[in-house]
Amino acid sequence: MSFGWLLGRSASIVYTILVVSILVFGITQVLPADAAVTLLGENATPEALAAVRTRLGLDDPYWLQYLHWIGRVVVGDFGTSMRTGQPVGPEMFAALGRSLILAVSAILLMLVVAVPLGMAAALNQGRFADTATSLVSFVGIAFPEFVTATLLALVFADTLQWLPATGWVAPGESAGGFLSHLALPALTASVVLVAHVVRMVRSETLDVLHSDYIRAARLKGVPEGRVLVGHALRNALLPVVTIVALDVGYLLGGIIVIEEIFAIPGIGRQLMVAITARDLPSIQAGALIMAATYALTNTLADMAYTVLDKRIRYD
Amino acid sequence: MTPVLSVRDYTLDYLTGGAALRVLDGISLEVRPGEVLGLVGESGSGKSSLALAIMRHLPKNARETVGALRLGDLDLTAARPKELTRIRGRRIGMVFQDPSTSLNPTLTIGAQLTEVLRLHRGLDRAGAEAEALDLLGRVELNDPAAILKRYPHEISGGEKQRVVIAGAFGCRPEFLIFDEPTTALDVITGARILELFARLRAETGVAALYISHDLALVSRVADRVAVLKKGRLVEEASAADIFVRPKHPDTKALVDAVPRPERRLVGDRSSDEVLLSVERIEVTYGRKKLFRPAPKPSTRAVGFEVRRGEILGVVGESGSGKSSIARALTGLVDYTGAIRLDGRPIAGAAAMDRDYRRAVQIVFQHPDSSLNPRQRVGEILSRPLKLFGGDLAEIPKLLERVRLPAAYAERWPHQLSGGEKQRVAIARAFAARPALVVCDEITAPLDVSVQAQIIELLLDLRRHTGTAYLFITHDLNLVRQIAHRVAVMRRGELFDLLAVDELGGDHVHPYTRALIAASPIPVG
Amino acid sequence: MTDLVGRLLRTPQGAIGCTLILLLAVACVAGPWIAPKDPEAIDFLGRFRPIGAENWLGADQLGRDVFSRLLVGARSTVPMALAATLLGTVVGAVVGTTSAHLGGRLDEAIMRTIDAVMAVPGLLLALLLVGTLGNGSGNAVIAIAVAFAPGMARVTRSVALAVRNQEYVKAAVARGEGGAWIVFREMLPNVMAPVVIEATIRVAFAVMLFATLSFLGLGAQPPSPEWGLMVAEARQYVHQAPWVLIAPSLAIALTAIAFNLVGDGLRDALNPRHER
Repeated sequence: MSFGWLLGRSASIVYTILVVSILVFGITQVLPADAAVTLLGENATPEALAAVRTRLGLDDPYWLQYLHWIGRVVVGDFGTSMRTGQPVGPEMFAALGRSLILAVSAILLMLVVAVPLGMAAALNQGRFADTATSLVSFVGIAFPEFVTATLLALVFADTLQWLPATGWVAPGESAGGFLSHLALPALTASVVLVAHVVRMVRSETLDVLHSDYIRAARLKGVPEGRVLVGHALRNALLPVVTIVALDVGYLLGGIIVIEEIFAIPGIGRQLMVAITARDLPSIQAGALIMAATYALTNTLADMAYTVLDKRIRYD
Repeated sequence: MTPVLSVRDYTLDYLTGGAALRVLDGISLEVRPGEVLGLVGESGSGKSSLALAIMRHLPKNARETVGALRLGDLDLTAARPKELTRIRGRRIGMVFQDPSTSLNPTLTIGAQLTEVLRLHRGLDRAGAEAEALDLLGRVELNDPAAILKRYPHEISGGEKQRVVIAGAFGCRPEFLIFDEPTTALDVITGARILELFARLRAETGVAALYISHDLALVSRVADRVAVLKKGRLVEEASAADIFVRPKHPDTKALVDAVPRPERRLVGDRSSDEVLLSVERIEVTYGRKKLFRPAPKPSTRAVGFEVRRGEILGVVGESGSGKSSIARALTGLVDYTGAIRLDGRPIAGAAAMDRDYRRAVQIVFQHPDSSLNPRQRVGEILSRPLKLFGGDLAEIPKLLERVRLPAAYAERWPHQLSGGEKQRVAIARAFAARPALVVCDEITAPLDVSVQAQIIELLLDLRRHTGTAYLFITHDLNLVRQIAHRVAVMRRGELFDLLAVDELGGDHVHPYTRALIAASPIPVG
Repeated sequence: MTDLVGRLLRTPQGAIGCTLILLLAVACVAGPWIAPKDPEAIDFLGRFRPIGAENWLGADQLGRDVFSRLLVGARSTVPMALAATLLGTVVGAVVGTTSAHLGGRLDEAIMRTIDAVMAVPGLLLALLLVGTLGNGSGNAVIAIAVAFAPGMARVTRSVALAVRNQEYVKAAVARGEGGAWIVFREMLPNVMAPVVIEATIRVAFAVMLFATLSFLGLGAQPPSPEWGLMVAEARQYVHQAPWVLIAPSLAIALTAIAFNLVGDGLRDALNPRHER
């Protein structure tokens, strides 16, 4: 990882955020909502509306409005929520923190399940365990989050009453409450990921097991267990880093639905509320923060990959 | 004296889709102590299956019907998995075709070498490291201590193969299998590996099975040679005899197909009239990227002439820039410098008009990718006829001229063999009635017998049409059989450009001399 | 082409997937006629009637027949997903091929921008667009298409680049063929196959995405029997009648599975070397 590589990656993150900001600003500016009406209500006088428009800069050309907005974003000011009147930034970042707890738990849960399962399937290629795993992952990938969430809530919350159906408890408040409230959302978020990653781990493991250097190790008289752990494991797991990073985009989308269903005050729910209320500053901030999170995750994954895989040096 | 390895009446089938495909049929052979047996065969002859059978590493669908495999007194077919891990690597060592894939990319050379020493020879960590250092020194690697710490991608292909050989000799096995150990390497690197093998063999007196498709090469490294064809052993003779007195017709055909520089296939002289001239041509791939240095040109100021009806051979290792020349001549990449056809200057790829493109045709290396899989042979051949003026009724005649049945016009590319595809590609080039055909390694992926047929076809077509060839290859012996003049390239530069009979002379470049020395000429 | 269908049906995934899709097609075309009951008929006496002879998959909170609503709802769900995928694929394929064809700096600029757009999760992009365009099935289709286009552009471009490096394309260039011939006759037929496979698998995601938008109240609007909407409406009655929720959930999953199976089967049928 040379200086040039880091510089290139930073430039690409900046470019990503620039493109996303234009995209988000462009889409939201076309929203058929008059910010002034949203603020003052339907019964406001035309004079009051005009005054608000001038104050908010709504009469300026779009590009000027964009520059004003992005200029403030650069210094960390995401504007004021039209719904609550509070600054958007702190609210969004607090929500992002809760979403990240959910996302990281889902990824950890997924790794614990998917990696051993995928490897077991590859090692038993063609046998029952392999077919069963493939079948389950095929089914798992076909359940959208809202279906999984509703069905899981039906079983574990409504019928068995083991876990709460909705809500969020901060980890500092009560560890037990935190975990029990986190369980169903994290499980929901991990289902599609598990299904996808199991298939990837299986095919990566098969590729490695069929490679020349594994054959060479076997033909050097290395015992099978040592071949798997010492030679195959690391090489099969390397590409999974990249796959998981790409899945984060899907995960973030899924989190919007999951937070809505389980009433978790994360960034996804903030966004849904903002979209419903046509609260422009909140929509813009939320979308931008989500995209930036994704871009950062991918860069981190690339860096992790370079550290783990000695073959690749970004120079 | 008991042989080190004995194979008796060994028969092997692969089950595919319910049917049994016979891969090896009643093979019997022996390798005596200190002896090297060469095993020669074309692709699909079953030679690699025999190696895997000896190593007891057959695919799941393999069925051994009859026969015995013995290592000394030990019956290999009866060995249990536990015993096998003690035999493999310790009593039988193996060296593989491609060193870049047979080393684990994420483990250091040291880790991979010491693992076997600790497993099989019970050395401790320090002892294994000391032994590994010694082994690397014996395979003539500079600075073994540094190499132990490196990863496979940090050393060259030749160095990797030396590491693999060091590992194979490491546990002092009684028997070694070499499976095409030089095929993936450049000619000169491969020759050095062979020298190393000869030295280690003399030092250790190990018995070995040396597998290769290259009869000339095997006859130089082996004491005896066994020829395998379609799973049957057709002939076994001493290495000295096999070229001089081949008995079986299949062996004779194989011997005849081996390119031998002294057996010229082209008798005429080319005219002195210049057809195409290339002056100071440079090709650069890619462009400067942000934060990175500008790419180097892959050819540097190369210049030569092709005369009317001449065969100009271009020889070089991978990365020598010989294919870049082919791409520049056919307008596939842009170039700086000058190309003249019949004296007419062509300023760049964009300036190549229909006349030029008709006159200069190209045949590519890979038969599988050079025909569009979604077009029938007839449609493929019709394009040059439509573009350059020709009658579609000529298609059957074109096929006939490359010795394919006219009915092949209705076939899809995937229904043809590799050699047949290459014939279609040649027919496509000749449909344009070219003055020059660029042949870019067109026989490299083919078996020698198919290669010989393609070469014969090319020479026959030249006799009838007077077409000149720019024949690009890594095989110096082949070029010496057919070319009027030979150009030798290395790292983008033209080192030599000589008439073929001057190659043995004194004023050739030292690199050319090394290349000649490294190209194995059949003994006898 | 018939050859391909034959090979597809010989793979187990292809055979099952095609059967499921055939059933879906029947439901989409003839749903209202083969439905045993009127999907809108309200029957207060039959509220939450369990699965049985009267209502094969039970009845919902208004006594409407769940099975009939599923059959009729197929045409508010599946064709929408197909349309969205088709639109997204066409737009993506055009952008991807053009980018690969242009090459150089332009190609790099286009791809960098597409990568940047893909940093916005698909669902979020769709939500933003529907939020702008207004709720409704048509707008949801457009939103999903826009969300899919960048991914399809990437896939098409990488396939097109691989095909462009094939020697038969180089042969055509060396021969001096025109750009149109090279793109349409040499490249496109070979680019199509992987793109079709990718698109088929994406139909599964489009079904899920469309149902999600409807579930969130942004896609199909009540009283449409769209499946995602049916799940949303059934949630509050889950204690009384879980089948009202389970039936459309499974319909969505089964549809997604069907398209995944066919995509997987197509991959095997088109690439016999990839046998495992």
